Amino acid sequence: MAESDEPNRTVRIPILERVLEANDDIAAANRGELARRGIFAIDLIGAPGSGKTELLEATLRMIQGRHRPAVLVGDLATRRDGDRLARWCDRVVQISTGEGCHLEAGQIRTAMGEVDLDGVDLLFIENVGNLICPVGFDLGQAAKVGLFSLTEGDDKAAKHPYLVTAADLVLLNKVDLAPYVTFDRAGFEADIRLLNPAVPMLDVSARTGEGLDRWLDWLDRGAERAAARR
Amino acid sequence: MHEFSIAEALAAQVQHYARPGARVREVEIVVGALRGLEPEALQMSWQAVTMETPLEGSVLAIEQRPWSIACPDCGRTWTSPVPFVACECGNETPDPHGTDELDLVAITIDDEPATEPPPGASPSAGGGAVAGAVTD
Repeated sequence: MAESDEPNRTVRIPILERVLEANDDIAAANRGELARRGIFAIDLIGAPGSGKTELLEATLRMIQGRHRPAVLVGDLATRRDGDRLARWCDRVVQISTGEGCHLEAGQIRTAMGEVDLDGVDLLFIENVGNLICPVGFDLGQAAKVGLFSLTEGDDKAAKHPYLVTAADLVLLNKVDLAPYVTFDRAGFEADIRLLNPAVPMLDVSARTGEGLDRWLDWLDRGAERAAARR
Repeated sequence: MHEFSIAEALAAQVQHYARPGARVREVEIVVGALRGLEPEALQMSWQAVTMETPLEGSVLAIEQRPWSIACPDCGRTWTSPVPFVACECGNETPDPHGTDELDLVAITIDDEPATEPPPGASPSAGGGAVAGAVTD
């Protein structure tokens, strides 16, 4: 070839494609299957120790006979969360993420294949305890729930704006500890309102059950919508 | 460290676009403010992920999009690296708005003149170290 003696040419190739497109494609397929089955799926995101598993334990106990739930639970290295939840629900899949700080759509697809979803109307996905990494990875959920707690401090919403803006519901857990911890409840809400003015916010205590009736109402409405769109 | 997952996904994506044998010099991405991405963590992850692959030594150019701040009191708008900032007019809580794009924008490669293919080369051989790379 005539060009073979020429030096290399440096070429810039424009692309413009989402970096997480492969994940997003699987998430879209998950969302499609969940919609076909009429399942309301929530991605529960919160810090380590915010009470994700405790909230789900209380929730599973309270919705017995009212819903048919399944739970996919991400955990770094142990089966502890899955074992706790299996006491209240016979459709629990533990996803061991190893070193991974978040769940990805492919893990959800695999886990969905390991549980009998016939008749299920609520799918809880307990993400790995982390306020940052899980937010950017679509799993195919219908709603993201951001779980904060009084013991983490009132600045956590402001410091994690992606979770706050992406959340379809914000839960503030451990409100029963209000007399014992310093927490500027109004300031916490003001930060959330600046980032996500319309997001519903509920104060709850998974331990005492305070406020959980409104959380269950929110779940009921989501399950009704999913069933209606089936 | 979601930066590591992002680096892995990005490397697979770049391998998909770069012809086998082409030397990738630079990879350009844009990241919205909402992503909360740590550029240093992503650079470290990129080095680790590309080590001993055809992408080793490539430069990762990260354009971080800032927050857009709009003050409803005085109408001023500006950009900021952080979402919570006061306005000059005295309003302590102007509205922050961030975007969450995470896009591969372009790659720069040394476009070598066509040479004879290596012995035994087939469309699926070579440079196949990245699992999950898609071919269409």
